[in-house]
Amino acid sequence: MREYFLRRLLLTIPTFLGATLLVFVIIQLAPGGPLEQQIMALRMAMGGEAAAGGVAGQTGAMIPESALQELRRYYGFDKPILIRYLSWLGVWPRELESYIAVPGRIRNIGEGRQALVEKTPEGYRLIDPATSAPLVGWYVEQQPSERGEERVRIYRTGFSGILTGNFGRSYTYNEPVMHLILQRLPVSLQFGLIGFILSYSICIYLGIQKALSHGTPFDLISSTLVFIGYSIPGWALGAFLLMLFGTQSFVELFPLGGFQSENYEHLPLLEKILDRAWHFVLPTIAYTVGSFASLTVLMKNSLLENLSQDYIRTAFAKGLSERRVIWLHALRNSIIPITANIGYIIGLFLAGSYLIELVFNIEGVGKLSIEAVFARDYPIVFGFTVLAVSVRLFGAILSDLALALVDPRIRFK
Amino acid sequence: MAARLIEWRTSPGAPPEASDAQEPTPSLGIYQRRWRKFRSLKRGYFSLQVLTGAYVLSFLLPLLVNNKAIVVRYEGRWYFPAVQSWLVSLPLVGGLFGSDFYSGEFFGQQGNPGECNYRLLQKQYAADGSMNLVILPPYPYSPIEDVTIEGNAAFLAPLERGPDGFPRLLGTDDRGRDVFARMAYGFQISLSFALILALLEYLVGVPIGAALGFFGGRFDILAQRLIEIWATVPFLFLVIIVASIVRPDFILLLLLLALFTWVGITVLIRAEFYREKAKDYVAAALAIGVPRWKVMFKHILPNALVPIITYFPFSVVAGIGALVSLDFLGFGLPPPTPSWGEMMSVGLQHLATGKWWLMLSPMMALFLTLTLIVFIGESVREAFDPRAFSRLR
Repeated sequence: MREYFLRRLLLTIPTFLGATLLVFVIIQLAPGGPLEQQIMALRMAMGGEAAAGGVAGQTGAMIPESALQELRRYYGFDKPILIRYLSWLGVWPRELESYIAVPGRIRNIGEGRQALVEKTPEGYRLIDPATSAPLVGWYVEQQPSERGEERVRIYRTGFSGILTGNFGRSYTYNEPVMHLILQRLPVSLQFGLIGFILSYSICIYLGIQKALSHGTPFDLISSTLVFIGYSIPGWALGAFLLMLFGTQSFVELFPLGGFQSENYEHLPLLEKILDRAWHFVLPTIAYTVGSFASLTVLMKNSLLENLSQDYIRTAFAKGLSERRVIWLHALRNSIIPITANIGYIIGLFLAGSYLIELVFNIEGVGKLSIEAVFARDYPIVFGFTVLAVSVRLFGAILSDLALALVDPRIRFK
Repeated sequence: MAARLIEWRTSPGAPPEASDAQEPTPSLGIYQRRWRKFRSLKRGYFSLQVLTGAYVLSFLLPLLVNNKAIVVRYEGRWYFPAVQSWLVSLPLVGGLFGSDFYSGEFFGQQGNPGECNYRLLQKQYAADGSMNLVILPPYPYSPIEDVTIEGNAAFLAPLERGPDGFPRLLGTDDRGRDVFARMAYGFQISLSFALILALLEYLVGVPIGAALGFFGGRFDILAQRLIEIWATVPFLFLVIIVASIVRPDFILLLLLLALFTWVGITVLIRAEFYREKAKDYVAAALAIGVPRWKVMFKHILPNALVPIITYFPFSVVAGIGALVSLDFLGFGLPPPTPSWGEMMSVGLQHLATGKWWLMLSPMMALFLTLTLIVFIGESVREAFDPRAFSRLR
């Protein structure tokens, strides 16, 4: 058993790599990606000028090749996609910093360091002017120059990617992505965990009751409600609830969104809790509703199925009480499919809530990333993908673990 | 089978040998029995009738909800613009028919070289007392005509009359487009989209899942890794990203979603085949030399039908949900396609200013449609469940 889970853990590595590679390739290869966006923006800017000068239609040729090259280098498009992926992961050296220098002149290269490019018969040599020793880890490259003056680009490479904890910097916030995500994770986690606990505790109980009263009015009515709840996406229900209870059009009971009131910091503790709860009601319903229905129905069906098995008939036949048969014999088997869902549901709560956060204007990770999609802030988008993939992977292992716990018959090999 | 055996044994008057003398009452096939059972489940059967009826009716929408006239008689000649727009809207064969465009000047509407405004034309003909005639559809608004067309105004409340005097059932949106018309057309688009998507999913997912569960072993382990990768990718998020970049049309969006959603049914079918394969009847069939493909699809598949059937309506629900989510974000079907998601996003923007009908209408449409499908799904499941009558004891 331990070996199984060890192997499962090790297997997450290729899955993680595969999933991130898939996302990486799809996003990078999609026509109109970051590079093309930038080129288009440049063309629009230059095309505007050209159109004013009366040479519209030739706008494509306006960007000088050196600028294009610079752009490609900036976005990493001068390298093959696999190399780009590997350096994004942090297992392939990438350019960390670069400076343009004139050979023979001392150039400051940050952090108080200096560099001097010397011209040698073989090419260029980079030395530290103070010690005259070659600079380790730095490279020199001739730079195309328009005005005939000789220029070189000096740059340093190193390993830096998501495996070294570097998720890149956000274009819009100009802050490390990791920092942004960690900053907003607690908000999302609070909603996710509350929703998760609520839905499991209510659903199991409701499912049991429905199975026991299969076919009764209680079952039919609760089924109807559960199905209605299931059918509508969580965010749409959230928007609907906002319409009903968040505005003056109907009943204004709850805030129109947000995570806490503006004066939250100045409230006494009890009011802080109440304020938080007041903001939590509608989003939590929206969070819970989707998984709520499927869990309840799964629980009910699985218990019903077990109740029609022979071992239940045997248990009844040998005179056990109904309570004992249901709660000890049937329930233990019925809980298995529900348990198998744990990982999926956790993933759903932690990473599937961007639309709800958007509707309720909750400053969580989901809203951050969906806004990043709007703004084409790819570092955040990739960062969120990594987060979502990781949550799902560990959720799947968690499912197996829980499954092994509740079902002793299961022997993972 | 077992039930009939018991019946024979317990009915003394009719021994089985007697049956070749007189024509035996034909026994119902399993699908007939399931259909009967389904029909006996009122809620699901009723939902199916309503939904099917509405869906079939929705193909006539260009004749029912349209700003083009059904009939125009102008200077002794007859024209049928709405019928033409209906023919053009038909799938596959629509391209065979000519344009449904008639300019205003063509019908004598002075100074209107653009699309004829038939509502104004009707008034004009009524006023000039000629033999000319316009018959409008019952609800004379198209889902994509906005304030730029005379007679429309933005933010009309439900039942409020617009500048042209016609009452608007569900009001108009921020661009003066008719909410009812958009809602009705959105129904057809959403449902068609989700149905095709679900079929695509099954086409890919069922055979793969069956093969994985049946053959197992190294093939399964390897394919499972790939499927795991596929299932691990946050698919809706990825589709949103890709859609935000490439701005897909109907077909592309369909393929994009199908690319990721087939995994759902695959996992279900695999699990079902995995479980069924371990049962004795499979071992028996294989032992007497039944070919493996036959065991898979003739022996196991009927026993694995319950999840297949149960999943279908829910996969339609998921398809509608995904489309609405994408449209809500503005990355779905290209505007001005009438879509519930786009209507909701407009509704959410104007929620604080009290334009509640913009949110309520698409929400109710989505809500009703999805609930009907789920009711159908639940009844189908019950009808297909061989243990349908199982009670507590």
